[in-house]
Amino acid sequence: MTPPQGLLCGVLLLIALMVYTFWPVKVFASQREKPRLEYLLERREQLDESLRDLDFDFRAGKFAEAEFQVQRAQLENETAQMLAEIEQLRQALRLAGNDER
Amino acid sequence: MAAFGSFALLLALALAAYNLLAGSLALRLIATGQPTVGSPERLAETARRAGIAGFAAVTAAAFALVWSVFANDFSITYIAEHSNRALPAIYKFSALWSGQEGSLLLWAWLLGAFGFVLRLRHKQDPKLYAYAGAILAGIQVFFLAVLNFAAPPFALLPDFVAGGFIPADGNGLNPLLQYPEMVIHPPLLYLGYVGFSVPFAFALGALMMRYPGEKWIKITRRWTMVTWLFLTAGIFLGMHWAYAVLGWGGYWGWDPVENASLMPWLTGTAFLHSVMMQEKKGMMKNWNVWLIFSTFLLTLLGTMLTRGGLVSSVHAFAASSIGYWFMAFMVIVLAVCIFTYILQRGHLQSEEHLESMVSRESSFLFGTLVLLAACFVILWGTLFPILSEFVGGNKIEVGAPFYNGVAVPIGLFLLLLAGVGPLLPWRGVSLGRVRRNFVLPLIVLEITAAVCLGVGVRPWKDGLFDQSSFFALVAFALSAGVLTALVSEFLRGARVVAKQSGRNLAWAKLQLIRRNPRRYGGYIVHIGVVMVAVGLAGAAFNRSVEGEMALHDKIYLGSYTLECAGFTADSNANYNSEYALLDVSKGGRKLFQMAPEKRVYLASEQPQTMVAIHSVPGWDLYVVYEGADPSTGQPIIKAFLNPLVSWIWAGALLMTLGTLVALAPGQKPAARKRFADTPATEEVFQP
Repeated sequence: MTPPQGLLCGVLLLIALMVYTFWPVKVFASQREKPRLEYLLERREQLDESLRDLDFDFRAGKFAEAEFQVQRAQLENETAQMLAEIEQLRQALRLAGNDER
Repeated sequence: MAAFGSFALLLALALAAYNLLAGSLALRLIATGQPTVGSPERLAETARRAGIAGFAAVTAAAFALVWSVFANDFSITYIAEHSNRALPAIYKFSALWSGQEGSLLLWAWLLGAFGFVLRLRHKQDPKLYAYAGAILAGIQVFFLAVLNFAAPPFALLPDFVAGGFIPADGNGLNPLLQYPEMVIHPPLLYLGYVGFSVPFAFALGALMMRYPGEKWIKITRRWTMVTWLFLTAGIFLGMHWAYAVLGWGGYWGWDPVENASLMPWLTGTAFLHSVMMQEKKGMMKNWNVWLIFSTFLLTLLGTMLTRGGLVSSVHAFAASSIGYWFMAFMVIVLAVCIFTYILQRGHLQSEEHLESMVSRESSFLFGTLVLLAACFVILWGTLFPILSEFVGGNKIEVGAPFYNGVAVPIGLFLLLLAGVGPLLPWRGVSLGRVRRNFVLPLIVLEITAAVCLGVGVRPWKDGLFDQSSFFALVAFALSAGVLTALVSEFLRGARVVAKQSGRNLAWAKLQLIRRNPRRYGGYIVHIGVVMVAVGLAGAAFNRSVEGEMALHDKIYLGSYTLECAGFTADSNANYNSEYALLDVSKGGRKLFQMAPEKRVYLASEQPQTMVAIHSVPGWDLYVVYEGADPSTGQPIIKAFLNPLVSWIWAGALLMTLGTLVALAPGQKPAARKRFADTPATEEVFQP
């Protein structure tokens, strides 16, 4: 490939990439802030996993019954608080939806 | 092709710069909510597309360079210096990373490829991906600026520019690189180096935007593990290459460039473990952020040491002044990290604290501390020659005794933690309970130590304390204990599954891995680490013998007898070679023949040793043909008997397998799936 041919190929590449980059699109992803509800749902998923790990470790003999009960109660308590907040937020969302309608 | 390649690189730089500037501006406009003429989200979309287009441009440049190598275009300086006509096709690919300019182009291309995948998956969390994309674009701007202005791969030969003279042939590829593993070792290492840019970009982005929650860890978990896998595989392939090519009987020489690859591996390993605490309990956020910042900075340091000409090394194939570019970039990255950290550190408060010292969390914490200590020691040893020259004017080299004296005890402590950690549950447990699980591993440890002492692995030689034998004894005993701990942990879990399902233990073990591949894949990696430790400990008992060998002369090594059966020579278009043919026998019975070789490459006129290795699980017979003695004309043969080396390679394979298992998606309980399916994004429709 001679230098002029190379430059011609380069210019063609430039045009193709500019068209791709600046082609006016009508649909694109929103850059919204992550809502608290979404964060809580993620956290809840993590707590579910921790509860499952705790149960499994207990059955595998890593905890005494008393230790297991204390730790499970702590995790369940945390999960319950989180579920309450999730429910509150969902209710608020439902109310907001009704108001808009 | 040179004109096209140069143009493509310039275009890639412009696109990366646009990605950085437009992406940052769009994020700023969205964050402040300032009214704008157009939609800032549309601007962000053009920035994202510029990142994808930039990858296409870098790919075009890389293609142009590979094409030029295959077309033997010796008007390009890089190709004249790193290739020749007789070079086998497979090594023509290696020319892409055999020199500084090409390897930087590979860095930029890999970064572009990672960025391409990331930008395609942006809908998972558009805002976080936009931050990460802009940070990756910033890194790409640096590499493309170096490629365009400091180390251009398409620079033409001065003679060609002056008078149109093109050499008939090139200088050829460095003989050290003309080895099959060298076709994949550097790209793997680079995949590891470059890959850490992604978790770094996400961590920095998440901190900049005060990202709520730990989802960024989940998003980058697989990236980090794949990156760690590449770096691990790259390091072990490099060790194997050094073992098979350099001909000194070892695989790790604490060379600055070897150290440069080990340091990010250590901090990356620390990050992989420590980040689990953040993911599970929202702990250690400050710590994790700095672990990934350090890992990324160490990958830059590694690239600088390899390519910047700051240290002398068998691996530093190209020395130049680009070290200053890297130093400046590292300073900028560090400044950005410190500034962001100071500004946003309030966001990094722990949600929970360490509940007990007898817990999985504390073992991770100790592990990461020890890994960091190892990294600091290696960093100190690697930079000491540069610092000593800078301060006192004399370059003081730091050798293997320094590293071994510190790194071996640290490594043994890490080995211990590899067995202790899995036995401890999250959150904590009483000492009495945990003691029960340690009984069997401790018994096995003690029995192994006794057996080792019985068979002659003793920490003394001729009545004097022998440090290397002592470390080997500790390593063997610890390895046995840790292996027992890991296997018993597997069995304990499998028994629970077997009891629940009513199936046999073998099925239960498979089911156990399917349910929690991350945890049990990790344990397989730990078993691989144990095997590597056993292999490394074997080095304490290496033996060697060296001598001139005339026809039918014999040398004795261990239970082997090596008899010289002849010498021969060969040649092809790429190199001339001389072989020694050695009949190997044991107890008077001939077993096999070995043919150590010495090559002289025609284009570069450089010699190269090709070691003959016979490997069995217990040891390697390793024979080097060192050439003829100039005074007697007799060939010199050096033979080594290296115990347990194959355990290192087997352990590395197991570590790879374990990581692949850990990468596999686990079975999802039905209740959890409901939450995982919650859409994370929404789309904006604009007419």
